[in-house]
Amino acid sequence: MSDGMPEREADKALAGEYALGLLPPDEAAAFERRMASDPDLRALYADWAEDLAALTDAIDPVRPPARVWKATQASLFPKRRKGRGWLGVLCGALTASALALGLLVAVDFTQGPQRPAAPDYVAELAAEDRSLVVTAAYDAATGSLYVEREQGRAAEGRALELWLIAGDAAPVSLGLLPDEDRAGIVNVAPELRPRLAGASLAISDEPAGGSPTGAPTGDVLAVAQVTDT
Amino acid sequence: MATRDDIENWLAKCALGDRDAFARLYSATSSKLFGICLRVLDDRAEAEEVLQEIYVKVWRNAARYNANGLSPMTWLITIARNAAIDRLRRRRAAEGGYADDAGELQLDPAKGPEAQAIAASEHARLAACFDELDSGHAAAVKGAYLDGETYADLAARFDVPLNTMRTWLRRSLLKLRECLSR
Repeated sequence: MSDGMPEREADKALAGEYALGLLPPDEAAAFERRMASDPDLRALYADWAEDLAALTDAIDPVRPPARVWKATQASLFPKRRKGRGWLGVLCGALTASALALGLLVAVDFTQGPQRPAAPDYVAELAAEDRSLVVTAAYDAATGSLYVEREQGRAAEGRALELWLIAGDAAPVSLGLLPDEDRAGIVNVAPELRPRLAGASLAISDEPAGGSPTGAPTGDVLAVAQVTDT
Repeated sequence: MATRDDIENWLAKCALGDRDAFARLYSATSSKLFGICLRVLDDRAEAEEVLQEIYVKVWRNAARYNANGLSPMTWLITIARNAAIDRLRRRRAAEGGYADDAGELQLDPAKGPEAQAIAASEHARLAACFDELDSGHAAAVKGAYLDGETYADLAARFDVPLNTMRTWLRRSLLKLRECLSR
Protein backbone atom coordinates (compact mmCIF):
# COMPACT_ATOMS: atom_id res chain seq x y z
CA MET A 1 0.00 0.00 0.00
CA SER A 2 1.77 3.12 -1.16
CA ASP A 3 -0.84 5.84 -0.69
CA GLY A 4 1.11 7.64 -3.41
CA MET A 5 3.94 8.14 -0.91
CA PRO A 6 7.56 8.13 -2.08
CA GLU A 7 8.97 4.62 -1.66
CA ARG A 8 11.19 5.41 1.31
CA GLU A 9 8.28 7.06 3.14
CA ALA A 10 6.06 4.12 2.32
CA ASP A 11 8.68 1.78 3.80
CA LYS A 12 8.87 3.86 6.98
CA ALA A 13 5.14 3.52 7.44
CA LEU A 14 5.25 -0.17 6.50
CA ALA A 15 8.00 -0.84 9.08
CA GLY A 16 5.82 0.88 11.69
CA GLU A 17 2.80 -1.20 10.74
CA TYR A 18 4.94 -4.33 10.97
CA ALA A 19 6.28 -3.33 14.40
CA LEU A 20 2.73 -2.71 15.60
CA GLY A 21 1.57 -6.09 14.31
CA LEU A 22 -1.00 -4.44 12.03
CA LEU A 23 -0.01 -6.09 8.76
CA PRO A 24 -2.11 -8.95 7.41
CA PRO A 25 -0.13 -12.23 7.64
CA ASP A 26 0.84 -12.32 3.94
CA GLU A 27 2.13 -8.74 4.02
CA ALA A 28 3.99 -9.37 7.28
CA ALA A 29 5.69 -12.43 5.75
CA ALA A 30 6.61 -10.44 2.64
CA PHE A 31 8.04 -7.68 4.83
CA GLU A 32 10.16 -10.21 6.74
CA ARG A 33 11.50 -11.64 3.49
CA ARG A 34 12.50 -8.19 2.28
CA MET A 35 13.99 -7.30 5.65
CA ALA A 36 16.23 -10.39 5.61
CA SER A 37 18.17 -8.98 2.68
CA ASP A 38 17.72 -5.25 3.15
CA PRO A 39 19.72 -3.58 5.94
CA ASP A 40 17.92 -0.25 5.41
CA LEU A 41 14.57 -1.88 6.05
CA ARG A 42 15.99 -3.61 9.14
CA ALA A 43 17.14 -0.21 10.40
CA LEU A 44 13.68 1.30 9.82
CA TYR A 45 12.12 -1.57 11.76
CA ALA A 46 14.70 -1.28 14.56
CA ASP A 47 13.88 2.45 14.94
CA TRP A 48 10.22 1.61 15.43
CA ALA A 49 10.89 -1.29 17.77
CA GLU A 50 13.11 0.90 19.98
CA ASP A 51 10.70 3.82 20.05
CA LEU A 52 7.56 1.74 20.62
CA ALA A 53 9.27 -0.26 23.37
CA ALA A 54 9.33 3.02 25.29
CA LEU A 55 5.55 2.70 25.57
CA THR A 56 6.26 0.01 28.17
CA ASP A 57 8.32 2.38 30.34
CA ALA A 58 5.25 3.40 32.25
CA ILE A 59 4.27 -0.18 33.04
CA ASP A 60 5.22 -1.18 36.56
CA PRO A 61 7.44 -4.26 36.86
CA VAL A 62 5.82 -7.13 38.76
CA ARG A 63 7.85 -9.97 40.20
CA PRO A 64 6.48 -13.23 38.78
CA PRO A 65 5.80 -16.13 41.16
CA ALA A 66 8.61 -18.70 41.49
CA ARG A 67 6.52 -21.37 39.77
CA VAL A 68 6.98 -19.66 36.40
CA TRP A 69 10.76 -20.06 36.57
CA LYS A 70 10.38 -23.67 37.67
CA ALA A 71 7.98 -24.44 34.83
CA THR A 72 10.25 -22.69 32.31
CA GLN A 73 13.23 -24.77 33.39
CA ALA A 74 11.18 -27.97 33.45
CA SER A 75 10.03 -27.41 29.88
CA LEU A 76 13.49 -26.49 28.57
CA PHE A 77 15.64 -28.90 30.54
CA PRO A 78 13.71 -32.10 31.24
CA LYS A 79 15.12 -33.96 34.23
CA ARG A 80 15.55 -37.22 32.33
CA ARG A 81 18.59 -35.75 30.66
CA LYS A 82 20.38 -35.86 33.95
CA GLY A 83 19.50 -39.56 34.11
CA ARG A 84 22.31 -40.08 31.65
CA GLY A 85 24.59 -39.47 34.59
CA TRP A 86 27.95 -37.82 34.59
CA LEU A 87 29.41 -40.64 32.53
CA GLY A 88 27.23 -39.58 29.62
CA VAL A 89 28.20 -35.97 30.09
CA LEU A 90 31.85 -36.98 30.19
CA CYS A 91 31.47 -38.96 26.97
CA GLY A 92 29.84 -35.95 25.39
CA ALA A 93 32.67 -33.70 26.52
CA LEU A 94 35.29 -36.15 25.26
CA THR A 95 33.57 -36.37 21.90
CA ALA A 96 33.45 -32.60 21.69
CA SER A 97 37.13 -32.20 22.48
CA ALA A 98 38.06 -35.05 20.15
CA LEU A 99 36.12 -33.30 17.41
CA ALA A 100 37.78 -30.03 18.28
CA LEU A 101 41.22 -31.60 18.05
CA GLY A 102 40.40 -33.29 14.78
CA LEU A 103 39.09 -30.09 13.34
CA LEU A 104 41.97 -28.01 14.60
CA VAL A 105 44.17 -30.20 12.50
CA ALA A 106 41.75 -29.95 9.64
CA VAL A 107 41.89 -26.17 9.44
CA ASP A 108 43.87 -25.54 6.31
CA PHE A 109 45.40 -22.13 5.88
CA THR A 110 48.08 -22.99 3.38
CA GLN A 111 46.19 -22.89 0.14
CA GLY A 112 45.20 -19.25 0.25
CA PRO A 113 41.56 -19.91 1.15
CA GLN A 114 38.90 -18.66 -1.20
CA ARG A 115 35.43 -17.65 -0.20
CA PRO A 116 32.97 -20.11 -1.82
CA ALA A 117 31.39 -18.57 -4.90
CA ALA A 118 27.93 -19.88 -4.05
CA PRO A 119 27.78 -20.60 -0.33
CA ASP A 120 24.72 -22.40 1.07
CA TYR A 121 24.87 -20.61 4.41
CA VAL A 122 26.47 -17.42 5.54
CA ALA A 123 26.88 -15.66 8.87
CA GLU A 124 28.37 -12.44 10.12
CA LEU A 125 29.66 -12.66 13.65
CA ALA A 126 30.19 -9.21 15.06
CA ALA A 127 30.85 -7.87 18.52
CA GLU A 128 28.38 -5.18 19.54
CA ASP A 129 30.99 -2.45 19.06
CA ARG A 130 32.27 -4.17 15.90
CA SER A 131 35.75 -4.47 17.41
CA LEU A 132 35.58 -8.03 16.09
CA VAL A 133 33.87 -8.89 12.82
CA VAL A 134 34.14 -12.35 11.31
CA THR A 135 32.26 -13.57 8.28
CA ALA A 136 31.61 -17.21 7.54
CA ALA A 137 30.39 -18.91 4.38
CA TYR A 138 29.61 -22.61 4.14
CA ASP A 139 29.75 -24.74 1.03
CA ALA A 140 27.60 -27.83 1.60
CA ALA A 141 29.00 -29.64 -1.44
CA THR A 142 32.46 -29.81 0.10
CA GLY A 143 31.55 -29.41 3.78
CA SER A 144 33.96 -26.51 4.03
CA LEU A 145 33.35 -23.44 6.10
CA TYR A 146 35.25 -20.36 5.03
CA VAL A 147 35.95 -17.94 7.88
CA GLU A 148 37.45 -14.50 7.55
CA ARG A 149 38.45 -12.04 10.24
CA GLU A 150 37.42 -8.72 8.80
CA GLN A 151 38.03 -6.73 11.94
CA GLY A 152 39.87 -7.39 15.19
CA ARG A 153 41.92 -10.33 16.43
CA ALA A 154 42.65 -12.36 19.55
CA ALA A 155 44.09 -10.53 22.54
CA GLU A 156 47.81 -11.03 23.18
CA GLY A 157 48.45 -14.61 24.29
CA ARG A 158 44.80 -15.60 23.73
CA ALA A 159 42.95 -17.40 20.95
CA LEU A 160 39.59 -16.98 19.23
CA GLU A 161 37.66 -20.25 19.14
CA LEU A 162 34.76 -20.89 16.78
CA TRP A 163 31.76 -22.91 18.00
CA LEU A 164 28.81 -24.59 16.34
CA ILE A 165 25.56 -24.51 18.32
CA ALA A 166 22.80 -26.66 16.89
CA GLY A 167 19.45 -26.74 18.67
CA ASP A 168 19.72 -27.46 22.37
CA ALA A 169 22.93 -29.46 22.00
CA ALA A 170 26.12 -28.34 23.73
CA PRO A 171 28.41 -26.14 21.63
CA VAL A 172 30.88 -28.07 19.49
CA SER A 173 34.25 -26.51 18.76
CA LEU A 174 35.00 -25.91 15.11
CA GLY A 175 38.56 -24.96 15.90
CA LEU A 176 40.57 -21.78 16.36
CA LEU A 177 40.44 -18.82 14.06
CA PRO A 178 43.69 -18.19 12.24
CA ASP A 179 45.84 -15.73 14.12
CA GLU A 180 48.18 -14.37 11.45
CA ASP A 181 46.14 -15.08 8.33
CA ARG A 182 42.87 -13.28 8.01
CA ALA A 183 41.00 -16.18 6.46
CA GLY A 184 40.87 -19.94 6.74
CA ILE A 185 38.83 -22.99 5.83
CA VAL A 186 37.31 -25.33 8.40
CA ASN A 187 36.50 -28.76 7.09
CA VAL A 188 33.33 -29.54 8.95
CA ALA A 189 33.21 -33.18 10.08
CA PRO A 190 30.62 -35.17 8.07
CA GLU A 191 28.52 -35.95 11.15
CA LEU A 192 28.20 -32.23 11.92
CA ARG A 193 27.24 -31.11 8.41
CA PRO A 194 23.52 -31.88 8.68
CA ARG A 195 23.41 -29.76 11.83
CA LEU A 196 24.47 -26.53 10.17
CA ALA A 197 21.04 -25.57 8.87
CA GLY A 198 19.49 -23.14 11.33
CA ALA A 199 22.46 -23.49 13.66
CA SER A 200 24.41 -20.66 15.24
CA LEU A 201 28.09 -19.90 15.23
CA ALA A 202 29.85 -18.25 18.12
CA ILE A 203 33.32 -17.00 18.89
CA SER A 204 34.74 -17.10 22.39
CA ASP A 205 37.93 -15.75 23.91
CA GLU A 206 40.06 -18.72 25.02
CA PRO A 207 43.56 -19.46 26.29
CA ALA A 208 46.22 -19.94 23.60
CA GLY A 209 45.67 -23.36 22.07
CA GLY A 210 41.91 -23.25 22.65
CA SER A 211 39.48 -24.18 25.39
CA PRO A 212 41.03 -26.73 27.74
CA THR A 213 37.63 -28.24 28.59
CA GLY A 214 35.92 -28.77 25.23
CA ALA A 215 33.33 -26.14 26.16
CA PRO A 216 33.63 -22.36 25.92
CA THR A 217 35.43 -21.02 29.00
CA GLY A 218 35.99 -17.33 28.21
CA ASP A 219 33.80 -14.42 27.17
CA VAL A 220 31.54 -14.98 24.21
CA LEU A 221 32.52 -12.21 21.82
CA ALA A 222 30.04 -12.74 19.00
CA VAL A 223 27.14 -15.03 18.14
CA ALA A 224 25.10 -15.27 14.94
CA GLN A 225 22.66 -17.63 13.36
CA VAL A 226 23.60 -18.89 9.91
CA THR A 227 21.26 -17.77 7.19
CA ASP A 228 20.35 -19.43 3.91
CA THR A 229 21.61 -17.65 0.85
CA MET B 1 20.16 -2.89 37.93
CA ALA B 2 21.59 -4.87 35.04
CA THR B 3 23.36 -2.87 32.35
CA ARG B 4 22.96 -3.31 28.62
CA ASP B 5 26.34 -5.05 28.59
CA ASP B 6 25.21 -7.50 31.28
CA ILE B 7 22.11 -8.44 29.32
CA GLU B 8 24.06 -8.76 26.10
CA ASN B 9 26.64 -10.97 27.76
CA TRP B 10 23.96 -13.20 29.31
CA LEU B 11 22.21 -13.56 25.97
CA ALA B 12 25.46 -14.48 24.25
CA LYS B 13 26.09 -17.12 26.92
CA CYS B 14 22.51 -18.41 26.66
CA ALA B 15 23.19 -18.98 22.96
CA LEU B 16 26.03 -21.25 24.05
CA GLY B 17 23.80 -23.17 26.45
CA ASP B 18 24.91 -21.49 29.69
CA ARG B 19 22.05 -22.07 32.14
CA ASP B 20 23.56 -19.90 34.88
CA ALA B 21 23.56 -16.95 32.50
CA PHE B 22 19.93 -17.76 31.66
CA ALA B 23 19.04 -17.70 35.37
CA ARG B 24 20.72 -14.30 35.77
CA LEU B 25 18.96 -12.94 32.71
CA TYR B 26 15.63 -14.18 34.04
CA SER B 27 16.12 -12.69 37.46
CA ALA B 28 17.16 -9.33 36.02
CA THR B 29 14.43 -9.00 33.39
CA SER B 30 11.40 -11.16 34.28
CA SER B 31 9.68 -8.53 36.45
CA LYS B 32 9.70 -6.06 33.57
CA LEU B 33 8.38 -8.62 31.09
CA PHE B 34 5.79 -9.97 33.53
CA GLY B 35 4.53 -6.42 34.03
CA ILE B 36 4.06 -6.13 30.26
CA CYS B 37 2.19 -9.47 30.12
CA LEU B 38 -0.12 -8.39 32.94
CA ARG B 39 -0.76 -5.02 31.30
CA VAL B 40 -1.63 -6.57 27.93
CA LEU B 41 -3.55 -9.61 29.15
CA ASP B 42 -5.02 -8.36 32.43
CA ASP B 43 -5.19 -11.98 33.58
CA ARG B 44 -2.64 -13.41 35.98
CA ALA B 45 -2.84 -17.06 34.98
CA GLU B 46 -2.51 -16.26 31.28
CA ALA B 47 0.31 -13.80 31.97
CA GLU B 48 2.23 -16.53 33.82
CA GLU B 49 1.81 -18.98 30.94
CA VAL B 50 2.91 -16.41 28.40
CA LEU B 51 5.93 -15.40 30.49
CA GLN B 52 7.06 -19.01 30.41
CA GLU B 53 6.62 -19.11 26.61
CA ILE B 54 8.63 -15.91 26.35
CA TYR B 55 11.66 -17.25 28.21
CA VAL B 56 11.55 -20.50 26.24
CA LYS B 57 11.75 -18.36 23.09
CA VAL B 58 14.51 -16.23 24.57
CA TRP B 59 16.60 -19.33 25.36
CA ARG B 60 16.05 -20.85 21.92
CA ASN B 61 16.60 -17.65 19.93
CA ALA B 62 19.32 -16.02 22.02
CA ALA B 63 21.79 -16.27 19.15
CA ARG B 64 19.56 -14.18 16.93
CA TYR B 65 19.01 -11.31 19.30
CA ASN B 66 20.98 -8.76 17.35
CA ALA B 67 19.95 -9.97 13.89
CA ASN B 68 17.70 -6.94 13.45
CA GLY B 69 19.94 -4.52 15.28
CA LEU B 70 17.70 -4.15 18.34
CA SER B 71 19.16 -3.35 21.73
CA PRO B 72 18.97 -6.40 24.01
CA MET B 73 16.23 -4.94 26.23
CA THR B 74 14.15 -3.90 23.22
CA TRP B 75 14.54 -7.40 21.82
CA LEU B 76 13.22 -8.88 25.07
CA ILE B 77 10.37 -6.35 25.31
CA THR B 78 9.40 -7.01 21.70
CA ILE B 79 9.28 -10.79 22.24
CA ALA B 80 7.20 -10.26 25.38
CA ARG B 81 4.81 -7.79 23.79
CA ASN B 82 4.32 -9.94 20.68
CA ALA B 83 3.73 -13.11 22.70
CA ALA B 84 1.22 -11.36 24.96
CA ILE B 85 -0.60 -9.79 22.00
CA ASP B 86 -0.75 -13.16 20.20
CA ARG B 87 -2.37 -14.67 23.27
CA LEU B 88 -4.78 -11.76 23.61
CA ARG B 89 -5.84 -12.04 19.98
CA ARG B 90 -6.37 -15.79 20.30
CA ARG B 91 -8.52 -15.18 23.36
CA ARG B 92 -10.56 -12.55 21.53
CA ALA B 93 -11.01 -14.86 18.55
CA ALA B 94 -12.19 -17.63 20.90
CA GLU B 95 -14.57 -15.24 22.63
CA GLY B 96 -16.11 -14.30 19.33
CA GLY B 97 -14.44 -11.06 18.49
CA TYR B 98 -13.23 -7.88 19.90
CA ALA B 99 -16.35 -5.75 19.59
CA ASP B 100 -17.99 -7.44 22.60
CA ASP B 101 -15.53 -6.16 25.14
CA ALA B 102 -14.75 -2.86 23.47
CA GLY B 103 -16.57 -1.05 26.22
CA GLU B 104 -14.06 -2.20 28.82
CA LEU B 105 -11.13 -0.76 26.97
CA GLN B 106 -9.62 2.51 27.78
CA LEU B 107 -10.84 4.45 24.80
CA ASP B 108 -8.93 7.57 25.48
CA PRO B 109 -5.50 6.66 26.80
CA ALA B 110 -4.44 10.26 26.45
CA LYS B 111 -6.20 10.98 29.71
CA GLY B 112 -5.17 7.79 31.52
CA PRO B 113 -2.52 7.40 34.20
CA GLU B 114 -0.40 5.49 31.71
CA ALA B 115 -0.07 8.48 29.43
CA GLN B 116 0.74 10.73 32.36
CA ALA B 117 3.40 8.32 33.53
CA ILE B 118 4.87 8.17 30.05
CA ALA B 119 5.04 11.93 30.00
CA ALA B 120 6.90 11.86 33.31
CA SER B 121 9.32 9.16 32.22
CA GLU B 122 12.67 9.66 30.60
CA HIS B 123 10.97 8.91 27.32
CA ALA B 124 9.20 12.19 27.33
CA ARG B 125 10.35 12.51 23.73
CA LEU B 126 7.91 9.80 22.69
CA ALA B 127 5.11 11.35 24.71
CA ALA B 128 5.83 14.75 23.19
CA CYS B 129 5.61 13.28 19.70
CA PHE B 130 2.36 11.53 20.53
CA ASP B 131 1.07 14.91 21.66
CA GLU B 132 1.71 16.27 18.18
CA LEU B 133 -0.71 13.74 16.71
CA ASP B 134 -4.47 14.10 16.93
CA SER B 135 -5.44 12.39 20.18
CA GLY B 136 -7.46 9.79 18.27
CA HIS B 137 -4.48 8.89 16.11
CA ALA B 138 -2.17 8.62 19.12
CA ALA B 139 -4.71 6.38 20.84
CA ALA B 140 -4.85 4.17 17.75
CA VAL B 141 -1.07 3.63 17.71
CA LYS B 142 -1.00 2.91 21.44
CA GLY B 143 -4.03 0.68 21.12
CA ALA B 144 -2.31 -1.37 18.45
CA TYR B 145 0.88 -1.70 20.49
CA LEU B 146 -0.48 -2.34 23.96
CA ASP B 147 -3.98 -3.68 23.29
CA GLY B 148 -3.27 -5.62 20.11
CA GLU B 149 -5.94 -3.80 18.17
CA THR B 150 -6.09 -4.73 14.49
CA TYR B 151 -7.07 -2.49 11.59
CA ALA B 152 -10.52 -4.06 11.75
CA ASP B 153 -10.79 -3.23 15.47
CA LEU B 154 -9.60 0.32 14.91
CA ALA B 155 -11.90 0.85 11.93
CA ALA B 156 -14.84 -0.30 14.06
CA ARG B 157 -13.80 1.89 16.95
CA PHE B 158 -13.40 5.00 14.82
CA ASP B 159 -16.33 4.07 12.63
CA VAL B 160 -14.50 4.45 9.33
CA PRO B 161 -13.90 2.00 6.47
CA LEU B 162 -10.85 -0.22 6.98
CA ASN B 163 -8.90 1.27 4.07
CA THR B 164 -9.50 4.77 5.36
CA MET B 165 -8.31 3.66 8.78
CA ARG B 166 -5.15 2.24 7.28
CA THR B 167 -4.36 5.29 5.18
CA TRP B 168 -4.72 7.56 8.13
CA LEU B 169 -2.79 5.46 10.51
CA ARG B 170 0.06 5.23 8.02
CA ARG B 171 0.10 9.02 7.73
CA SER B 172 0.17 9.30 11.53
CA LEU B 173 3.07 6.86 11.68
CA LEU B 174 5.04 9.02 9.26
CA LYS B 175 4.28 12.11 11.31
CA LEU B 176 5.40 10.28 14.43
CA ARG B 177 8.59 9.06 12.75
CA GLU B 178 9.34 12.56 11.50
CA CYS B 179 8.92 13.94 15.04
CA LEU B 180 10.97 11.15 16.63
CA SER B 181 13.80 11.70 14.13
CA ARG B 182 14.14 15.39 14.85
